[in-house]
Amino acid sequence: MIAYAANLATIVAIFAILAATLNFIVGYAGIFSVAHAVFFGLGAYAGAQVALLLIPDPLLACLAGAVVAGGLSLCLALPALRVRGEYFVAASMGLQMMAVTLFSEAKPLTGGIGGLVNIPRPTLFGVEVSVLPLALVALALILLATALLQRGAFGRTLQALRDAESAAEALGKNVAAAKTLAMAFACAGAGIGGALFALHLSFVNVESFTMDQSVLVMAMVIIGGTGTLWGPLVGAIILLSLPSGLAFIPFIPPTEVGAVQQIVYGLAMTLLMIFRPAGLVGDLSKGRATA
Amino acid sequence: MTTEVLRTENLSRSFGGVQAVAGVSLTLHAGAVTALVGPNGAGKTTTFNLITGNLRADSGTAAIRGKPIMGLKPWQVARLGVARSFQDLRLFTHMTVRENVLAATETASWFWQPGGSTARRAREARADAALEATGLSALARARAIDLAYAERKFLSMARILAAEADIWLLDEPASGLDLASRTRFGQLLKDAQARGVAICLIEHNLDVVVELSNRIAFLDQGKVLAEGDPDAILKDPALAAIYFGDRPQEAA
Repeated sequence: MIAYAANLATIVAIFAILAATLNFIVGYAGIFSVAHAVFFGLGAYAGAQVALLLIPDPLLACLAGAVVAGGLSLCLALPALRVRGEYFVAASMGLQMMAVTLFSEAKPLTGGIGGLVNIPRPTLFGVEVSVLPLALVALALILLATALLQRGAFGRTLQALRDAESAAEALGKNVAAAKTLAMAFACAGAGIGGALFALHLSFVNVESFTMDQSVLVMAMVIIGGTGTLWGPLVGAIILLSLPSGLAFIPFIPPTEVGAVQQIVYGLAMTLLMIFRPAGLVGDLSKGRATA
Repeated sequence: MTTEVLRTENLSRSFGGVQAVAGVSLTLHAGAVTALVGPNGAGKTTTFNLITGNLRADSGTAAIRGKPIMGLKPWQVARLGVARSFQDLRLFTHMTVRENVLAATETASWFWQPGGSTARRAREARADAALEATGLSALARARAIDLAYAERKFLSMARILAAEADIWLLDEPASGLDLASRTRFGQLLKDAQARGVAICLIEHNLDVVVELSNRIAFLDQGKVLAEGDPDAILKDPALAAIYFGDRPQEAA
């Protein structure tokens, strides 16, 4: 039972990293990407390769994941500089679909459909460590960085772009640079989450980095509350605890848990959009000054 | 003669078959207010968009203090000292009033602004001074979206004040203001003018134009039909006919 809870907590922490970093571009900069799982995947493959080919050092794996995902965030930044709104959603969807194909085909790097297996357990200074404390520390650092950036000038720049891009530009803000930086930060964070995910499972394949995963992370952000610090964390806890919770309800047959879960998700999203459109945490922080 | 700060020559821009701006030449001087007047569709806002880099000109040139600005992006033009307002204001609606104005003082796009805490305090002081000058200090913590219309207009002006630009391009800044607000707005412009700011104003309220401007450029169908002293321009019956929609029929 403890192992089960620790596994769930680790997965929640990793997905909270994903949700928090996606929220950074969705909630603050208004860039609605449905390709966050791509950068999660890039980080996972990079971290896994470091562990497989070099040493299973989680810090090095996280660094590799952040650098690869943050660097390749330009693939997302380029369309974001040219199109906005629903056009960008479509562009990011295209990137997501292309990436899944590439992940499936680039066997030397990703292991193809079968993925990368037997990723060694993470060790720090020769001692095997659990991923849970690492994921919690990474999550705390990302939330801290997000809070600092969001309350400062960079956060105001992103919110200005979200609310009125042309006015922000007319005040001397370099929109391209700010968007590129925001995406590099968010995608590097997703890459760290990916590296930790690979080390935690000792196995990664393309199934974890599909559009479904991107939509799930987006749902965490929306349900928790876009543009809030704690909303994505709340969203990740709820959406990942729900399936586990349903499994413990005795009158739901194990074979039907998946279907019930989908019904509950759909119902929860609909009710939320009607009664708390700003998300579970959203209303609480509405109107608070952040200067 | 005051210093010339901005000059455009033969700026032109068409959209499909519509010639929105056709060879507009303008000069703005430090400490002077120039009003762009003309009927709807005359090309006034398009001229602003060409100067600020929001639109690319098909032909023509523009320069700020002799430095060519054609081809520059809007943020690059802004950093040369040009601030503009928009007809639809384009406030940062979900930010507070003070955040809106602070954002106008923060032009670096990196994760942090240069200059450390000393520069930060200076920026905050500029923002607070702009709020004071526009009468918005008491609303500093309110969200922009919750402001009344006149307050939104003044917030738009506060951002321009805080940006410390020396060329202001104002697109219908006094429209919808009551008399008292218009008086406050006029004083803001006069103060800026006294500091040497070059102001170009698009305005349909001719009382405001007469009160505030030193010079008028009358635009119609993308061309400057006349330029000069406000009294002379506004008393020209042919221009008045165009402005009020009583356009003379062109010869067949």
